[in-house]
Amino acid sequence: MPVSGAPAPERAPQPPADGHSRDRRGSPVPTAGMIATRIMELRKRRGLMIALIVMNIGLPALFLFSRLLGHAFVPRTSPPAGGNQIFGVLAAGFLPTFGFVVAATVGCTAGSRDLTEGMFRHLVVTGRSRLALYLARIPAGLAIVVPLVAVGYTIVCAVCAFAAPVVITDNGVNIPPGLSRAGFANWAGNHAELVVCNFPYNGPVPGNVACPSGPGWWSVSSATPGQAAPAALEALAIKIADQDYPGYTRIYLSPPASLMTEAGLWIELEAAVGFILGLGLASLMGQRTVPVILLIMFQIILTPILVGPGITHLQDLQHSFVGLAVAHLEPSGLPVAIGLPGVTGGAGSPGSTRLPESATEAVCVIIAWLAAWTILGAWRMTTRDA
Amino acid sequence: MITTAVPSAPGRLAGECRWAVETHGLTKRFGAKTAVNGVELLVPRGSAFGYLGPNGAGKTTLIRVLLGLTRADAGTMSLLGYAVPRHRDAALTRVGAIVDEPRFHRHLTGRQNLRLLAAAREPAARDRIGPALERVGLAHRADDRVSGYSMGMRQRLGVAACLLGDPEMLLLDEPMNGLDPAGMAQMRDMILSMVAEGRTVVLSSHLLDEVERTCDAVAIVDRGSVIAQGPIPELLAGAQPTLHVECSEPGRARALLAGTAFGARAEAAPPALGLGLGLGITLPAGAGRDVIAEINRVLVEGGISVYRLLPVQASLESWFLQVTTRLGDPE
Repeated sequence: MPVSGAPAPERAPQPPADGHSRDRRGSPVPTAGMIATRIMELRKRRGLMIALIVMNIGLPALFLFSRLLGHAFVPRTSPPAGGNQIFGVLAAGFLPTFGFVVAATVGCTAGSRDLTEGMFRHLVVTGRSRLALYLARIPAGLAIVVPLVAVGYTIVCAVCAFAAPVVITDNGVNIPPGLSRAGFANWAGNHAELVVCNFPYNGPVPGNVACPSGPGWWSVSSATPGQAAPAALEALAIKIADQDYPGYTRIYLSPPASLMTEAGLWIELEAAVGFILGLGLASLMGQRTVPVILLIMFQIILTPILVGPGITHLQDLQHSFVGLAVAHLEPSGLPVAIGLPGVTGGAGSPGSTRLPESATEAVCVIIAWLAAWTILGAWRMTTRDA
Repeated sequence: MITTAVPSAPGRLAGECRWAVETHGLTKRFGAKTAVNGVELLVPRGSAFGYLGPNGAGKTTLIRVLLGLTRADAGTMSLLGYAVPRHRDAALTRVGAIVDEPRFHRHLTGRQNLRLLAAAREPAARDRIGPALERVGLAHRADDRVSGYSMGMRQRLGVAACLLGDPEMLLLDEPMNGLDPAGMAQMRDMILSMVAEGRTVVLSSHLLDEVERTCDAVAIVDRGSVIAQGPIPELLAGAQPTLHVECSEPGRARALLAGTAFGARAEAAPPALGLGLGLGITLPAGAGRDVIAEINRVLVEGGISVYRLLPVQASLESWFLQVTTRLGDPE
């Protein structure tokens, strides 16, 4: 073969020519430009963005708007739109679940669409490190997910704070909102009969106390009929108020700022976990639909099962499960199970039925999951045929 | 294997590697199927080089292996003198490529797709977006979504994407696919202009006529192996030309020639090239004018009226069909 001489001497990489002087495309660190264009690529997916906005902002906004309208036009039968109770329902149930699903969908899109739409090959041919191509998707996706979740959550907080009940009605008794424990006790002392006869109470009732207008919440048989002693009635009312104060705080005028902050951060954490899992799984599988379905099942079916009471022989698995770890970081001020999947109430909240786990353990489990899925996704990205 | 020497552009590349692409024993298997089978390929710098083969011959796979999109199972290769995959990143900074059908994010505009790709290249690439779009004739549609582009427009956008890196070499996989005749002519002019700028253009194709018009040299691949390569004129010099003879009584003319050295090669020729009925005679490679005169003498002396004699040089297509004997055979 006339043209075949000795193989050409191997040429070592040389300093780049002009125009390539700031070119570090072998570096695994993505450039700001890569992240910015990746954000653009995701943001321009109109259908996806509309679906995400509807799920994460539209649905809670619609729910609150319908409550606002109801209260505005039929105030007697429709309670105020906001308040601590509604905040708990949305912040502990709806927003984290939908935030996770929304974030997982964005992650799966970011992790698979270059491949399925034929751009992966173009990107690899640029010579840019495949790891950098993968890592650019993380800040870009989070730049979409975090504000999206934040906007939905801000709407919820605003309505819950500014459209909260001005008077709390409990068992037909109007109670002033925003009382401290001492203030609530003082108010109870001044309205002893209302409190004794209408508030729930679980405890011994002195023999000389009876509800003047009929049996109260306690067992009738435990009360000795007789004249109501004002001092004893007042003491019992204060005792009942002390016992009922946690319940009173749950229907507080508006959610405390500290709780709103903690809950917001926790919901963002849930969303970030969903995004990283989605990105890794979709990169691994090279497609979007199946990973999205798997992650929805993960959040709606598997998580509620595994965060519950210990399953014999499976407790180690439960402890290493990210759903339990995230649930353990839920602010204690959020309510106990409200019927939505994946929600069993704050870690310190009464009635929490979760498998015990320390906060440190939970943080370690979350970090391990995020790292593992990032490594898996990046590994597949760097080894995949383009 | 047919090979001839392929000269590189003189003087221009002194001190640099002579070959834009160099492979030795390159092999790629997919399970039991060998898609690239011990390919020995030398592409001179500064040329337009055609990589020809029937469908399924392994053209795209070779390009994918060269670009590091998939790993080779055996052999060595280099791009612009850089050993690949060892110095793949360095090599790819100087290479632009379209592999297979060019596909882009359909929801983005052409310009936005190029921005995405430019961000993965060096910073200067962003400044080349506008000129690249101008050059491929897409500037007026650059802000339309790719979902509204025709196949030809996507091909041109693919070439624009290649130009973002100001490449020394372009690897274009079937760049003429989906183009109308005008688009093909534009693409051909574009390729030639890039070669004139000193770039190397390697294009794989099965459109032989276009390759013949565009390329200086070619390699023919069949079933994963390169079976011939070299400059087109030199390759065709070894091919057998045809003599079309327009005459009276073609049947008797064929019988007359049967007794000569040309008889076995003469066959009834269909009306073609403006000729009436006659014969098509395959001449020996390198046959001169005296051979044509001898045929004419035999026919005239036999009482055949010869109206016209038309020697036709072998085209790349006819030569391709001669050397790829298994064309169209799936296995």
